[in-house]
Amino acid sequence: MTLLPWLVTAWLFGIGIYGIVTSRDYVHIIGSLSVCQSSTYVLLLSIGFRWHSGPPIFYEHPPGTASVDPVVHALVLTDIVVGAAVTALLLVIALQVHKRCGTTDPQQLRPLRHTK
Amino acid sequence: MSAAETLLPLAVLAPLGAAALLALLAHWLPARSGDCLAIVTSIAVAILCGWIADHALHGAIPHWFGGWTPASSHRSDVVLGIGFLADPASAAVACFCAFLFAMSFLFAWGYFDEVHSHFHVLMLLFLAAMIGFCLTHDLFNLFVWFELMSVAAFALTAYPLGQSSLEGAFNFTVTNAIASFLMLLGVGLLYARFGTMDISLMGREIGRAGSDPVVLAGFCLLAAALLTKAAILPFHMWLADAHAVAPSPVSVIFSGAMVSLGLFGLAKLIVQLFAGSQAVVAVVHGPLLWLGAATAILGGLMAWSQRHLKRLLAFSTISHLGIMLIGVATLQATGIAGLLLYLLGHGLVKGALFMVAGILLARHNSIDEIALYGKGRPLWPAGLAMVAGGVMLGGLPYGLLHSATHLIDGQVPGEAASAAMIVSGALTGAAVLRSALRIFFGWSGAPGPERAAPTEREHEMPDRPMILMMLPCLILTALALAPASLATPFITRAAPRLLDPFGSGAVALPTAGGVSASLATLAITLALTLLALLRHRPTSSGGRAIARVERAPLAAIDALHSGLLPDYVTWGTVGLALLASCAAAFGFT
Repeated sequence: MTLLPWLVTAWLFGIGIYGIVTSRDYVHIIGSLSVCQSSTYVLLLSIGFRWHSGPPIFYEHPPGTASVDPVVHALVLTDIVVGAAVTALLLVIALQVHKRCGTTDPQQLRPLRHTK
Repeated sequence: MSAAETLLPLAVLAPLGAAALLALLAHWLPARSGDCLAIVTSIAVAILCGWIADHALHGAIPHWFGGWTPASSHRSDVVLGIGFLADPASAAVACFCAFLFAMSFLFAWGYFDEVHSHFHVLMLLFLAAMIGFCLTHDLFNLFVWFELMSVAAFALTAYPLGQSSLEGAFNFTVTNAIASFLMLLGVGLLYARFGTMDISLMGREIGRAGSDPVVLAGFCLLAAALLTKAAILPFHMWLADAHAVAPSPVSVIFSGAMVSLGLFGLAKLIVQLFAGSQAVVAVVHGPLLWLGAATAILGGLMAWSQRHLKRLLAFSTISHLGIMLIGVATLQATGIAGLLLYLLGHGLVKGALFMVAGILLARHNSIDEIALYGKGRPLWPAGLAMVAGGVMLGGLPYGLLHSATHLIDGQVPGEAASAAMIVSGALTGAAVLRSALRIFFGWSGAPGPERAAPTEREHEMPDRPMILMMLPCLILTALALAPASLATPFITRAAPRLLDPFGSGAVALPTAGGVSASLATLAITLALTLLALLRHRPTSSGGRAIARVERAPLAAIDALHSGLLPDYVTWGTVGLALLASCAAAFGFT
């Protein structure tokens, strides 16, 4: 395995965090969070990858044929499902916040610290 | 397979099934059926988990899903299946969670009438996730339960759909979602290195690998994730926002069970997975212990300077999690026994206190200590529960928390950590006691630093049966006042079995003692309370100067808790970097 997927993972995670930290909009934060999450996909898929091997489907191949690791695929699928749930929930919250406050700028939205 | 092995998954399946049934039938069932089904289910799960915990004393109880036992792979170094493994401590923690849910459902009777049974569906899902988190013995499965627990908690926080609750839920969701990504990265790294997800097998492999850099990186990522859930400095910022704005019955669960479960998960991973790695043990003994002490002090100071009662209780939870982390960091069976006892005692006390806050919200549409001055007099039983809770947090030399503190204190190296435990206990105890005496007994004193703290007018569903709100609150308080000797015979045998699920024997706990430390804490608690209640408005220039000096440091740490999500994420990143540099320093020297 080369160094590239590790670097991509670190870059994606870092740039996602940078996006969240510097963001001035809830929707942008949600997008940055998804970038962060995609770093986990890259890492997991690169862990399971084997050079010169096929998909883990043994329909036309005898058992024992080299294949990539199917376990990490299952992990990535679970991760995607969870990510979709969290993103949906966050978008609903952002929508409700916009309805109530007319803004989605985190600098103006602080729980319990609204001045009357 | 024995009956216990067969029934083990039922502890998770029952709440999941009840949740699905309720979601399906909510529109047709009569109004109160959701409450009834939820209470019955959680009590049944508590009984089942208690029975399993008792059985597990004779040997940990495994359940391999689909019959994929380790033997079915015909190789000693390959585990194909995904398993639950109930050691007595884990099953007992699951039992406690289910019991707290039953109390919370009772307390919430009639709270969520307009929304059919959606609240109960989410809560039952939350319960199932917590129990799965306690019982699982597979690293990825642990991540799944962690994630499920988080998602249910996010939705429950946003439930009131008020401005603060939405913002609090947003901060909570983003910080904890990042934590779960860190956890997944950690799980991925460890799987890449060892090729298995089974915790026992991976633990043996880690023991052989020693201080491998991948093990250290995996530990840092997993620890950062679980410390975020457990709200340890500097990952703790989200907690005060989320706990303060969630509906009271949900705050009971958050503070009493969810966050301490994060710490319990961390303890379990450290002792079962990473105990073989010298570098990780060094990190836990050193930096994590001091992190715990610092968290305890900071949480105490913040709690002391709050006026919003739920926010005050949330910071006191942070402080007590710090003390529990000190218990984890001892890595001794006695310290772990202390942790288990503390988890129980703290959950009971904090559950009762959040219920008192909920009663005030339902009756008086406010949760502000100063605005509520003297208004709680007709609700004196709740006031007594709150005073009892404050005195227990503040070092009453009796009850579960006292014994637990004594057990942890005995294992702590050096005086500084013991002093941190005394100071933080006194600060949180005095904060609760001060509010209780102001609200329920009309004692006052000019407000000090707490006057400038954030607050808000809030309300919760009024006209609920007072008896059903008061009853669980008083039950929890009474249980917290039970003598620890009732729990010790179980805990002495459960603690060594958490360190090694297949081990045996019992740890000899030090006999009753530690009264002097508790009395010292209690003296400081009472002194601080009196100081707050007898305070006058400073009129002389000297008095004003003293008040300024007092306010400045508290205002400074309050400014750090800005309520801004970007700040919270930045602090989390700093914490991860700190953890990584500690691990690197211990791993490569």
